[in-house]
Amino acid sequence: MKKKMNRRTFLKYSVAMGATTTIAGFPAILRSQPKEILIGSVQPVTGPLADIGIACRRGNQMAVDEINAKGGIKSMGGAKLRLLLGDSEAKEEVGRSEAERLIKDGAVCIVGPFMSGIAMAIATLCEARGIPFVIDIAAADAITQRGYKYTFRCFSTVSTFMSNMGEYIAQIVKEKGVTIKRIGVTNTGDLFGRVQGKAWIDYIKAKKLPFEADVVEHIEYPVGVADLSAEVAKVKVAKPDILCPVTRPGDAKILVRELFKQRVELLGIVSPGAPGLYEPEFIRDMGKLADFVLNNVPWVNPRSPKFREINERFAKLYPGKYVDTNSGYAYLGVMVIADALDRAKSTKPEDLLEALRKTNYKENPMVGGAVQFAANGDNLNASSAMIQILKGEIKVVLPKVAAEAEYVFPTPQLWER
Amino acid sequence: MRKLYCLIAFILIVLLILPTIFSDYILGIFVMIFFYAYLGQCWNILTGYAGPISLGHSLYVGIGAYISTKLAMDFGIPPWIGMWIGGTGAALVGMSIGFLGFRFGLRGIYFVLLTIAFAEIGRLIALHLKPLGHMMGLFIDFKPGWTNFHFRGNLPYYYIGLGYVVFSLIVVRALEVSKWGRYFVALREDEDAAESLGINVFKYKMIAIGISSFMTALGGTFYANYIFYLHPTSVMSMWVSIEIIMRPIIGGIGTLFGPLIGSLLLTPLSEIARSYFTKAGLEGIHIVIYGLLLVVAVLFFPGGIFAFLKKILKPLMGDSKEI
Amino acid sequence: MIIEPSYILQLTVSGFLMGGVYSLIALGLSLIFGVMKVINFAHGAMLVWGMYISLTIMRLTGIDPFFSFVASAAGLFIIGYFIQRIVVNRIMTFHESMQVIAMVGVMMILENMAQIIWGPDPHSPHTKYSLSTVWLGGVMIDVPRLLAFWIAILIATLVFLFLKYTDLGKSIRASADNRTGALLVGTDVNKVYSACFGIGAACVGVAGALLVPLIPTSPHVGFPFKLTSFCIVILGGMGSLPGAMIGGLMIGVAESLGTIFIPSSLKQVISFSIMVLILLLRPRGLFGGKGS
Repeated sequence: MKKKMNRRTFLKYSVAMGATTTIAGFPAILRSQPKEILIGSVQPVTGPLADIGIACRRGNQMAVDEINAKGGIKSMGGAKLRLLLGDSEAKEEVGRSEAERLIKDGAVCIVGPFMSGIAMAIATLCEARGIPFVIDIAAADAITQRGYKYTFRCFSTVSTFMSNMGEYIAQIVKEKGVTIKRIGVTNTGDLFGRVQGKAWIDYIKAKKLPFEADVVEHIEYPVGVADLSAEVAKVKVAKPDILCPVTRPGDAKILVRELFKQRVELLGIVSPGAPGLYEPEFIRDMGKLADFVLNNVPWVNPRSPKFREINERFAKLYPGKYVDTNSGYAYLGVMVIADALDRAKSTKPEDLLEALRKTNYKENPMVGGAVQFAANGDNLNASSAMIQILKGEIKVVLPKVAAEAEYVFPTPQLWER
Repeated sequence: MRKLYCLIAFILIVLLILPTIFSDYILGIFVMIFFYAYLGQCWNILTGYAGPISLGHSLYVGIGAYISTKLAMDFGIPPWIGMWIGGTGAALVGMSIGFLGFRFGLRGIYFVLLTIAFAEIGRLIALHLKPLGHMMGLFIDFKPGWTNFHFRGNLPYYYIGLGYVVFSLIVVRALEVSKWGRYFVALREDEDAAESLGINVFKYKMIAIGISSFMTALGGTFYANYIFYLHPTSVMSMWVSIEIIMRPIIGGIGTLFGPLIGSLLLTPLSEIARSYFTKAGLEGIHIVIYGLLLVVAVLFFPGGIFAFLKKILKPLMGDSKEI
Repeated sequence: MIIEPSYILQLTVSGFLMGGVYSLIALGLSLIFGVMKVINFAHGAMLVWGMYISLTIMRLTGIDPFFSFVASAAGLFIIGYFIQRIVVNRIMTFHESMQVIAMVGVMMILENMAQIIWGPDPHSPHTKYSLSTVWLGGVMIDVPRLLAFWIAILIATLVFLFLKYTDLGKSIRASADNRTGALLVGTDVNKVYSACFGIGAACVGVAGALLVPLIPTSPHVGFPFKLTSFCIVILGGMGSLPGAMIGGLMIGVAESLGTIFIPSSLKQVISFSIMVLILLLRPRGLFGGKGS
């Protein structure tokens, strides 16, 4: 029941504050400057994506703690931030209800929710309630095509993912002089998997790659699948040059192991952007098989001093973990909100909205430029990087300006390591 | 009897006035209470009153939601009209399932598994149908207005939800006192005896599943226009079916107020569990608690909460026998 | 699409071996259903606990799941015994839908306790055999799958022998056939039921341990297995152990071969359709006893 006490205490406190300031005759302006600013975080911390949800929540929390450690929101008298925790349970109606609850509890802004469907539900809610909603992670393009004024997205859209992926592959093909004609695509059968998978296939089919290439096999498998032997057998028969998997943490491991077992020959495994292929658990459990996997993700920028600083802190708090796409963007989301609060100098929704629109947040630990929002709420400079696992460590290999290592392509076969 | 009606009227008036003092958040909780109470009541008609147990009711929710939404999106037909078409579609599907099940003499657990199988097959197929936005699910445009069934605040949803619940209560009550209702109960209690008495068991089971699936689909339209996003895994999954049956079971199967009472109890409990037990580091504890509550409720209130309440409220109700 | 014979053979072999594990899971379910007439909705969650017990032993002592499955069996037997005593025993005479809710509650508790205890990250540990393969011509035989298959068959045989030849086993079968009769001859029905549920749980616990090298262990992987095992139990016949075994193998192969014709994500439609057909045409399943 600790939380209840906090809320009641908070209310009592602000009432007392109001009373005191009136009595003591403080300038009226101070009354609109709260001692504590509440931000609502809705993440799927239980259910099938719990591991990612928890990583995102940790990213949100780390940003809050950092701001508070540095003195809070300076322009509002050092007001501290507090993160209100919401669990969407990976279900839309729960996510919406949680957002509703957090707004009722005083959240001035909502951050989250990792899943595009839930983002849609919350975006609609926030639009109706007039509360800003900063999406830390959710890729479906449709969310920002609704004309909503209160929704902002830090993450890149699916179309950005694809154009980056296309460029990187083109670059690899050119620089290494390889031929990629046959492309195999697999994806999980959930919202994200299908959107990513389809977008990449459409990109290839629209001949946007500067060389001849075809999708020779496209396999979609149910989320939570236990057995990919049949699927991988199909891939093997199609003899692709590269495999582009869109996975989730569970099936990524089964997939790679099965590729190993069935001796599927590939020039490389290159994902257009998917979780499952970069987590510390993947590297730990897969050992040598994890090496050389290429993944096009909105990753942290290893050359950014900001990233190094937060990664150290994160690793200390959660031994064995590092800041990745999920925790990184979750962190960024809250930092953007804090930055907007600082410029808005008030917690009123309209002021916060204005400030968010004008965001130009430069201390971005992720790849891509400063965070700036377009009219529809998308982050103009959101980008992705190609990462490759080399000797059990994740290295950014493209674009060159952010790269920390040279990429290896074609990659050694899984069974020849 | 009089006393009971007064009590009901009183509760109704309270529910009508409540919204004026409640925040959007609490109203939102009530919306969910009413929504699941309504769906539970629809299920109650089939399983509680007539007998065949369905664990695949989410299929009808999905059918109603998708049909009315597609009609609205592609043809501009307001959901208020589209929902009846959705209901008809669901009734056709429901009655087909019923036909197969009843004609082939499936009862008890076997019928349950049949409904599970069809619901899952339906969900899997829906996942692959392009017109249903098979990639992304359907994102619905938010166009506020009565014709579109879209509203800004939760207040209109509250009243509509309440309306749905009252509607279902009226339907069930009407069934209870009618010939149909009595036949339902007869075949629920002892199918063979009913048959030997000349009741066309097959016909009445079909009527029951037809009504039940039709009404359930109407609820699907409500869902679509409240959440604005449809995806087969959210709206047609096994989980939804389980949520639907939870309320009437805890509240009291085969009773008029069972689903509503069950919902008034379960939805706030899960909300409270989630808000007070969400702690970083112990993610999932609120679900453990919810699960515990379910087990406890089933073990200690096997007749449903409603039966329990009846005992307590006996003095109030005099000797009414008709509930 | 060119369909080479080695491709089909590969699919058949992989599906068949996986079917062995399915069989073991279905075995537990069939036993529980056959004797107590309760659908165990917590079956998937018990599978997950079987996985975690083995995983933990492996993490702490390095013992391979192909040996530590014994611990999973013991652990799940105890868990199953208590679940039966505390919950299932009381709900056996309740309306089926109430049984469902109670078992769903148990499932929620088990799954989320697992998440709290072991965290939500999927674990796919590297065991000595997890990457081993044996090649017969152009067909790859997955060693962990092969081992899982044989151990599953072994356990199933042990259970079968137990039921046929031991006193407790005979009591279990008697109680399944005729509860009143069993009571009349003085069988301690409660003890019989608890043992039966415990054994059913132990079977699924072993299956969980065997799956550790094959699939990532995470709190919610049990759900699809549970649904598939419903299909298998219906196909084989509720309460029939040979039915569960053969049904499991059939479903394993069917799902595998089915991917030739339909997309993988529709794989489960095959099992569900089979279930519908059996329910309509032969509800007692291939090997089931008297009528439904």
